[in-house]
Amino acid sequence: MKNIILLFLLSLSATFYAQKASVISIQSNAQCGDCQERIETALNQSKGVIYAELNMETKVVEIKYNRKKTDVATLKKVLNAIGYDADDQKADATAQKALPLCCQPGGH
Amino acid sequence: MLSTLQAQIKGVVQGADSLQTKPLKNVKITLLRAETTVYSNEDGTFEILLGKQSPDTLLFVAKGYRSDRLVVTRSDRFAALNVVLVSGQLVQDIVVAGAKNAHGISKMKTLHVEELTSAEFRKAACCNLSESFETNATVDVSMSDAVSGAKKIQLLGLDAAYTQLQFENIPFLRGLESTHGMSVIPGTWLESIQITKGTGSVVNGYESMAGLLNFEFKKPKDLPRMGLNVYQNRFGRSELNLQGGQRLSERWHMGLFASGAAIYGQQDHNQDGFRDQALSNTINLLQRFSYQGPKMEAQFGLQAYTDDKTGGQLTFSKQTPEGYGMTLNSQHLSVFSKTGFFGKKPAQSLGIITQLKAQDVNGFYGLRNFQGKERRLYINAIYDDIIGNSDHKIKAGASFLALRILQYAGQPSGAAQLGLTRTEIVPGVFAEYTYSGNRLSAVVGARYDQHNLAGGQFSPRAHLKYALSPQLDLRLTAGRAWRMPNFVVDNLSLLASSKTWIANQTLQPEISWNIGASLVQGFSFKKRKGTISIDAYHTRFTQQLVADRDSIFDMVIFKNLADHSVATVIQTEFAYEVLRGFDVRLAYKFQDVRALYNGQLQNQVLLPRQRYFANLAYQTRNKHWQYDLTYSRYSAVRLPHHGHSIPWALLNAQLTRNFKQLECYLGGENLLNFTQHAPIIDASNPFGSSFDATQIWAPIMGWNAYFGLRYTFK
Repeated sequence: MKNIILLFLLSLSATFYAQKASVISIQSNAQCGDCQERIETALNQSKGVIYAELNMETKVVEIKYNRKKTDVATLKKVLNAIGYDADDQKADATAQKALPLCCQPGGH
Repeated sequence: MLSTLQAQIKGVVQGADSLQTKPLKNVKITLLRAETTVYSNEDGTFEILLGKQSPDTLLFVAKGYRSDRLVVTRSDRFAALNVVLVSGQLVQDIVVAGAKNAHGISKMKTLHVEELTSAEFRKAACCNLSESFETNATVDVSMSDAVSGAKKIQLLGLDAAYTQLQFENIPFLRGLESTHGMSVIPGTWLESIQITKGTGSVVNGYESMAGLLNFEFKKPKDLPRMGLNVYQNRFGRSELNLQGGQRLSERWHMGLFASGAAIYGQQDHNQDGFRDQALSNTINLLQRFSYQGPKMEAQFGLQAYTDDKTGGQLTFSKQTPEGYGMTLNSQHLSVFSKTGFFGKKPAQSLGIITQLKAQDVNGFYGLRNFQGKERRLYINAIYDDIIGNSDHKIKAGASFLALRILQYAGQPSGAAQLGLTRTEIVPGVFAEYTYSGNRLSAVVGARYDQHNLAGGQFSPRAHLKYALSPQLDLRLTAGRAWRMPNFVVDNLSLLASSKTWIANQTLQPEISWNIGASLVQGFSFKKRKGTISIDAYHTRFTQQLVADRDSIFDMVIFKNLADHSVATVIQTEFAYEVLRGFDVRLAYKFQDVRALYNGQLQNQVLLPRQRYFANLAYQTRNKHWQYDLTYSRYSAVRLPHHGHSIPWALLNAQLTRNFKQLECYLGGENLLNFTQHAPIIDASNPFGSSFDATQIWAPIMGWNAYFGLRYTFK
């Protein structure tokens, strides 16, 4: 029981630490809700990302990250690698082709 | 401030194929002049702000469907727009994303429908169907006897038998399955559950007396290549659930579901010599196919399961049957098909549902054995069309049921069995008209069924929704429903006592009228949304088969009761995202369920009159962690013959960690460690005259801890 509570507290503390943090906005070419899940999951599971959220109206990804652990170029590469444009950096063509139909550019 | 937003247009986008009309997710909705775009939610709903230009045009685009345009003006802000996109000639993927709102009352539907999605199921370990309601205040889950551990669900204070259960609009868990069937279906197979309070649509049948629960399983097209779920708890219960989808060709998809569950832990915490949980072994398989062509669509499936339980005294096992034992063996096989054909006009379609089911159940509680056998054939044909425009829709069709059900149960002495063998032949016809107006929408329908034993039964039903303001909806419902009772199967758990069953009357059909009203107010505060709702439902039986446990101490008397059985349930709920990612849901429910027992209009036994409910859910901004806490407090229940229980509370918590393809969860149930003292009456003398394991109102086992994994391979 004690261990469960301890684990619970530990997990909470992990979300609040944020030294050397920066926030950046990257324009993506997300198409649908499925894209949102793909983009948010890929970034949130990347090293150094504190959180990543995609605004579906503007397609802009807001990323808060630890400057010591990652940088903007790396984050953009994450997006490219899963098939999405990041600002003017084009998506990896193979990855883009592998996306479901709705996520393809012009998919909607 | 509760702000009512300016000209906000709301609606629901649905996709129509020949089988059904269902909400579409992720439809791209654009206001052409204002140049704003939104996407429809999990349940097809959307909201979009009207710009300065009015009128403006809404453009709806979804893959696999024909795009549609709709001109909207400021006066449409009251409207619940109902947009139906017609399936396109070219079949392409409609892509499905994860749920956004895990739980909610659909704003658009005329009927009061509460929707639980897979995001809601993740809040609790959710091993099986009956447990998937643990984070919900509308449906109550309770144990029905201390020997088999059967869990039953209740809606509007009435047992599941009075609620129509469906698997994607096909009758589900009927007849012999109504007691134990729910524990056989793993929650991870589910995509969503729709809870309708009050009589449901006439299209679905005549049995929805208290409400309707529809279970949507994951569809072959949406399934990952492989999904795996493992579960383990501290009391010795393990589960392994698998599901996977495969594309066979452009038009054919296949889904395979498999589940194995076992309870092997010998637990006797209250030291009464009885196992606190029955040992069990369950294997369940479901295979389904879907076909999508230009002129027709079809789904086929096959489900088979076997469930084996052993309970009773610790000394008892199947190999060494010593002392008081309980066994249950259930075998089930069913096949279903749904085929739909498009008409010449876009909104025209014909859908045909067929189901064949065979089930055998047998076992015993001590000296009382029971058997059941069920063979069922069900066909439902539904024709869909519009009158003039899509504001006026009509559904009409015919159904046919052929059922042979055999059910017998023994008496405490081990002698004379009670029961019946019954053949039911029920042809029926139905028609339903739906009006979708600006502020008002209405569904009016009726069905007529000719039952070979119950005679002709007419079931009229009406549902109405009126938008009092853009954020406030009033719903009214009234209708008649009926069913044929299965007194042995419906009350199987009452065999876990020494009480003699008396059933000497000819069974009458159970008939009820249900009326209800609900108010749902949506609001937005600090840019975060919430709802406040209140609803009240009243079910009045003109005929009910009641199990009277009050009149004579050592007997359960089954009798037909005319006009002396009512259930009134009032529920109010508040839901709001208090902080970013932190959702709070509070509910209160009052249930007044009475029937004539021992010459007095008395409260239903073992049913709490009041329930308080709170669910707190927090997800971190990076979605790595999720915390859930569910608290329920139940008032005292009436016990047959000897007064009342005490009030009690249940606290469950779960912590989930999300990785790329893996979710790990760790949880606790009954964390306040409340158990019912001496749940089995006269446990030391199970073959004596006062033995009774059916007076259960709280958990038998103390706090539980579990952990599990969900792995998705895409």
